[in-house]
Amino acid sequence: MSKQQVVTIKGTKDGLILRLDDQCAYSDLLEELGKKAQDPGLEGAVEVQIHTGSRYCSDQAAKEIIQIVQSAGHLRVSKIQSDVITMEECNQRVQERQSETYIGIVRSGQEVRAKGDLVVIGDVNPNGHVSAAGSIYILGRLKGKAHAGNAGNREAVIAASWLEATHLMIADQMETMTDELAILSEHPEMECAYLHTNGVIAIDRLQDLRLLRPGLSTFKGGC
Amino acid sequence: MGEAIVITSGKGGVGKTTSSANLGTALALQGKKVCLVDTDIGLRNLDVILGLENRIIYDLVDVIEGRCRIQQALVKDKRFEDRLFLLPAAQTTDKNAVTPEQMKDLITELKRDYDYILIDCPAGIEQGYKNAVAGADRAIVVTTPEISAVRDADRIIGLLEQEDIEPPKLIINRIRRNLINSGDTLDVNDITSHLSIDLLGIVLDDENVISSSNRGEPVVMDPNNPAALGYRNIARRILGESVPLMSVDTGKPGFFSKLKLLFTK
Repeated sequence: MSKQQVVTIKGTKDGLILRLDDQCAYSDLLEELGKKAQDPGLEGAVEVQIHTGSRYCSDQAAKEIIQIVQSAGHLRVSKIQSDVITMEECNQRVQERQSETYIGIVRSGQEVRAKGDLVVIGDVNPNGHVSAAGSIYILGRLKGKAHAGNAGNREAVIAASWLEATHLMIADQMETMTDELAILSEHPEMECAYLHTNGVIAIDRLQDLRLLRPGLSTFKGGC
Repeated sequence: MGEAIVITSGKGGVGKTTSSANLGTALALQGKKVCLVDTDIGLRNLDVILGLENRIIYDLVDVIEGRCRIQQALVKDKRFEDRLFLLPAAQTTDKNAVTPEQMKDLITELKRDYDYILIDCPAGIEQGYKNAVAGADRAIVVTTPEISAVRDADRIIGLLEQEDIEPPKLIINRIRRNLINSGDTLDVNDITSHLSIDLLGIVLDDENVISSSNRGEPVVMDPNNPAALGYRNIARRILGESVPLMSVDTGKPGFFSKLKLLFTK
């Protein structure tokens, strides 16, 4: 067996970084990792980040690595980082960042779903349903149901020219619009719904969105 | 080659059958050759409203199952010489007795002989609806100024838009002037902007619609009736004429209209 180090340890102020060699055999790596983790030189509870380099790490393998590192008791893995992902994951990420546009009216009983953001140009009528993994933007009246961040994204928002929805959902939170909220929408003002830090859905002027969710902006440059 | 128009609504009781009977009659009065097809198998009504109930020998299911020829099943309305015919629905079976493909073949055959085929659709969005829509080239959605009827119309328009037919057109039936003027019900603009499809016409609510249907003669035959005027206008629009929409207001003129009158005089 080669004497080349397959696990290098680097200390930073945030804890240790374990850099795993990406060329050696996986079994050698696990063996070495086990030895390093048991090293009596490491003492006290330490947070560890693991970098796997260009080695693809399946969920199964990642669990195995975490288990070995943590078996010593005093190390805690805060994150595993890899330079590679599968095509599938990559496509999914691209889709989540993409915006899909639906032009037309979402009528009663119809459902429009998007894997990323959703832009609807037209009304969403009562009992119509729009749902997206990202945010939902409606140029028209939202009078039906809208579910933003349906895969759990709590940063997602629902914005509409007229926000008169019967049900608003963001991630796992749901809000049914009461009469009280309906009074708010009598003012012809564009509004957006977002998940407030206290965990309930709040509605605010659309103009405030840039302050509430600065991360939504993808525009680069300009002056 | 004629044109097949399905008259549908989603919700029951909004006046599909009454509208079918009256529009068919109005088109016949305009000199067109019309065939009305009742697809409400098991709950047929169109024959009663037209007063043709006791002249039915064969029905739609008999034709489709080959027990008779189409010509034998068609009931002629003697009031209109050779211009108005009815293909009645069967009453003894249900909507599953017919498939959309069979319906399509039947309507295609009828289109050869008639200018207009009006298909009276049953309520609901199940088999009966699918059968009725299968052979149609155009669709007319009937609604009333009630929120429940408008919701169902919205649903049915969504379904019709997925079919390979022209965009559906809207009839608002049973409009009550006093309720609209007092603001207690949806007005024509509310409904058309909500459904956002073209308005084909409006029909005012009138007691004579019921009484004349009970007598078996469609109200459209009475030229002085306000509901009849609505149906006649719709028939003319179907024929391609441009007819202005009748006004819903009757009431006394308001302050501003009086003022306007003063200046225009």
